[in-house]
Amino acid sequence: MDVKKLGLVFFPAFDWAISSTHPEREERLLYTRDQIIEEGLLDLPNIREYKPTMATYQDIERVHIGVPDIASLITDAHLVSAGGAITAADGVMRREVERAFALVRPPGHHAMRVVHGTRGFCAINIEAIMVEHLRKAYGVRKVAIVDTDVHHGDGTQDIFYHDADTLFISFHQDGRTLYPGTGFTDEMGSPMAMGTTINIPLPPGTTDEGLHEVLDHLIMPILADFKPDIIINSAGQDNHYSDPLANMAITAQGYARLADKLKADIGVLEGGYSIESALPYVNVGIILAMAGLDYGKVIEPDLHKCPLQTRAVKNYINHLVKERQEMWAKREKLKGEAVAKAGDFWTRSRSIYYDDSGIEEQQIENLRLCPKCSGYLTLGTEARALSFGYKSAFAAVISREACFPCRQSAIDAVHKAKRQGKYQQYYIQNKYEDKLEKI
Amino acid sequence: MLLGIDVGGTFTDGAVVADGKVISVVKIPTSHDNLLKGILQAIDQVVEAVGSCNFSRIALSTTIVTNALIEGTLDEIGLCIIPGPGMDIKFILPIEPYILSGYIDHRGREVASPAQEEVQAACQHFAACKVFAVSGKFSVRNPSGELSVVAWIEKQASVEHITVGSEVSGSLNFLRRTNSAYYNAAVWRHFNDFANAVTAALEARGIHAPVYVLKADGGTLPLLTARNYPVEGIFTGPAASVLGIMAMHPTKVPSVSLDIGGTTTDIALWQDGVPLFTEGGVKVNGHPTALRGFRLKSVGVGGDSLICCEEGQIRIKPMRLGPAMAVGGLHPTVADAMIVAEKSHFGNVNLAIDAMKRVATHGQTPLEVANLVLHEAVRVICHGIKEMLVEQAAEPVYCVKDIVHDRKLDIKQIIGVGGCAAGLVPLVASKLGLAYQLPKQGMVANAIGAAVARPTVDITLRVDTVEGFYTVAELGIKKKLPWQNFTLADAKELAEEHLAKLATIRGIPLGESEMLQSEEFNVIQGFTTKGKIISCRLQVKPGVLFNDKEGV
Repeated sequence: MDVKKLGLVFFPAFDWAISSTHPEREERLLYTRDQIIEEGLLDLPNIREYKPTMATYQDIERVHIGVPDIASLITDAHLVSAGGAITAADGVMRREVERAFALVRPPGHHAMRVVHGTRGFCAINIEAIMVEHLRKAYGVRKVAIVDTDVHHGDGTQDIFYHDADTLFISFHQDGRTLYPGTGFTDEMGSPMAMGTTINIPLPPGTTDEGLHEVLDHLIMPILADFKPDIIINSAGQDNHYSDPLANMAITAQGYARLADKLKADIGVLEGGYSIESALPYVNVGIILAMAGLDYGKVIEPDLHKCPLQTRAVKNYINHLVKERQEMWAKREKLKGEAVAKAGDFWTRSRSIYYDDSGIEEQQIENLRLCPKCSGYLTLGTEARALSFGYKSAFAAVISREACFPCRQSAIDAVHKAKRQGKYQQYYIQNKYEDKLEKI
Repeated sequence: MLLGIDVGGTFTDGAVVADGKVISVVKIPTSHDNLLKGILQAIDQVVEAVGSCNFSRIALSTTIVTNALIEGTLDEIGLCIIPGPGMDIKFILPIEPYILSGYIDHRGREVASPAQEEVQAACQHFAACKVFAVSGKFSVRNPSGELSVVAWIEKQASVEHITVGSEVSGSLNFLRRTNSAYYNAAVWRHFNDFANAVTAALEARGIHAPVYVLKADGGTLPLLTARNYPVEGIFTGPAASVLGIMAMHPTKVPSVSLDIGGTTTDIALWQDGVPLFTEGGVKVNGHPTALRGFRLKSVGVGGDSLICCEEGQIRIKPMRLGPAMAVGGLHPTVADAMIVAEKSHFGNVNLAIDAMKRVATHGQTPLEVANLVLHEAVRVICHGIKEMLVEQAAEPVYCVKDIVHDRKLDIKQIIGVGGCAAGLVPLVASKLGLAYQLPKQGMVANAIGAAVARPTVDITLRVDTVEGFYTVAELGIKKKLPWQNFTLADAKELAEEHLAKLATIRGIPLGESEMLQSEEFNVIQGFTTKGKIISCRLQVKPGVLFNDKEGV
């Protein structure tokens, strides 16, 4: 069978909403559906449409630890959207299509390793679930995720923060001016993975020009250095000038050219809530670009409303690109210093806020920096919310290639914590054996 | 008395149905150089057999449109499109279009209007054309742009016909509508010449019954209406046989039907007593159109299919070099194998045995060869059925509930029609472990289907309460809503009203209507519900006429 240019998993979930007037509602991809169908995109010989499969709980628990369990925190729609990302990945890996775009909802990039509820409209991280599927099913190792949503992809960053094989690059509107308030340049990965998390906080008012400056002089060269086996685009569309939740000035052309240059193997839709003025055009632009077709005529009817980039923004971006280039150049040195400073264990404690459900989470991570393997992680989490009061858990995460002593220590740590009895739930997320155990 | 005529690649079949019973059938070779000759011959034979020409309706399923496409007897068309921004479809259309400015957005708002001076230039560009097609993006949401262009063309040039995109289909898909409009215009003259000849010939015979034309979706159109929508009459052969099955063997059981003809087997899937339709529409000359048709798959196996031996393997070729050797053909065919294996009983058995000997290797007996041929034929057909079921299961759906409660088609039986069904269908059924049915008169299922197919028409109504308008593309309507708080039930009522209007215009008795699709979305702006977008597609229900007077 001939290989098609683009696989498209289109799943607008027309019967699912967080709540009836929430931005993540039934209508979100309605106008996008209308535009895609009216253009005739699904009838092009270079595009193949896929029906999503449903992800399994095993797929999800390869990434997430749900407290008390993941099934009680998500809906069927989440299984389909994660399944849609997996379907896209399978199409590419089976060489049925050259690249694929999972134009699915609900989104996922704010969902972290530990899940207590929905945050930033996300309950499970559909890209991360897809990445772990790629590793499990096809042995893919080096993965680059480029997050082009206007919000910092804090969930994806959290999940891969200790993973030197996953390069996570996120550009977004500066966290000082927008949810979730993270994604600063000093968040660069834990010591062993130092430099594989790269944040590019952009000033409000960044236009296509600024974005492509960052892409051409920072993101593309870094990708060339990292040499990933696969490139994934977390294709949020809320940098658009008409987005109601953010303040950037990117156009459909800006997004389409980005898709054209990035040549991601797999794109996954994230946010984007200008459902009538942006999404129909941005998605048509991305689909055409990913299918290798001319997107030059995809233009919003109200393009005149797109602001111009100020000199101050341009200067800020030039400066930021330079600073980040320098940081990338000395990443090995920074890694050496961080590892030496941390010693055997690296620890961090954080509070995490779930805007959708008002949950306040306190989390302590303890990461074993093993000279022989990628180590193991233990974490303690305590969450408080009006909706459920108090929930807590302790977990160990054993990496895919953990050495025997690390595996044993991780298991011991959970049993020890259980004996001490400070937490309500105890888990071992054993990626070495591909299972999540409740102890 | 209802008369149905189906012109196939090999035979022209006729059937007369009276009060639900088939009272006469004829089968004559198709006259390829002059389709009408064969049609009239069939009619004459039928009239002689039933002793009357007092038909209440004559329905034709012909290859006239298909032949025009194959033979390239297409008119030169002035194709004007109003694409607005978006994908560039200029190079994927059947011919190069003239591009006009103007722009309707996805909510049906006119962002820019077309320019009259551009239409003038277009008419000069197409000075040699008498037939035009006009198609605009999102014209189904607001036909005003298309209609202005049509009015300007009519003023500018001496045109004989203009096909309008939004009239051809009320569904979204600019590419498909444009292709439909183009092909409709391109076969317009050819079809009208044929319609004139049919009308004259029937008149000369004193036959005054109204003439209908079968459509690819199994409905019929009055010939008078079909003159404006001739492309609807394409690919009606398989639709005719599907309708025939509906008439002869109504069943609610999930089924596969096989129409095994001269060189192909047409496979259709059935659910809840109706055949499944294609998504989007059928392809014409490789171009996707908005023409609704049954979901059909053809595999290259039929009674006259050539058989040969390649590298010690029996192969069935998807071609016909003549009839079976048993009836005087020059090359071995699947039908010869059926005769030798005693699955069919016609022609000269010894000649069929000779046919098997021709393809035998390694001292195989004729019976062994015949069994191998049948085995191969069954394998190809079963593979086609399985592929179709896989494709059906992979059809995208857009709601969570449709993924969770996946309605897999659990086939229980095979229904076989067509000349070679009796020989092959039992073998296919036994291989798949299914029951089978061979309706009587299955040999002329297509003509029976044409005879009894109901006239149909459909409309798409879209209500946008925020914009305050509703549109019915097929009628070229965009009107203010009579009131604000419109519900789906109101929309259905309004759709019924407009369906009746369109049925009257097209000369179709209204009959029972059915909802093909409906959806309803809240429109929310800044966390406040501002209104609704409702759309529904309604059709006069296709199916089978039980009463001779019903569908006229």
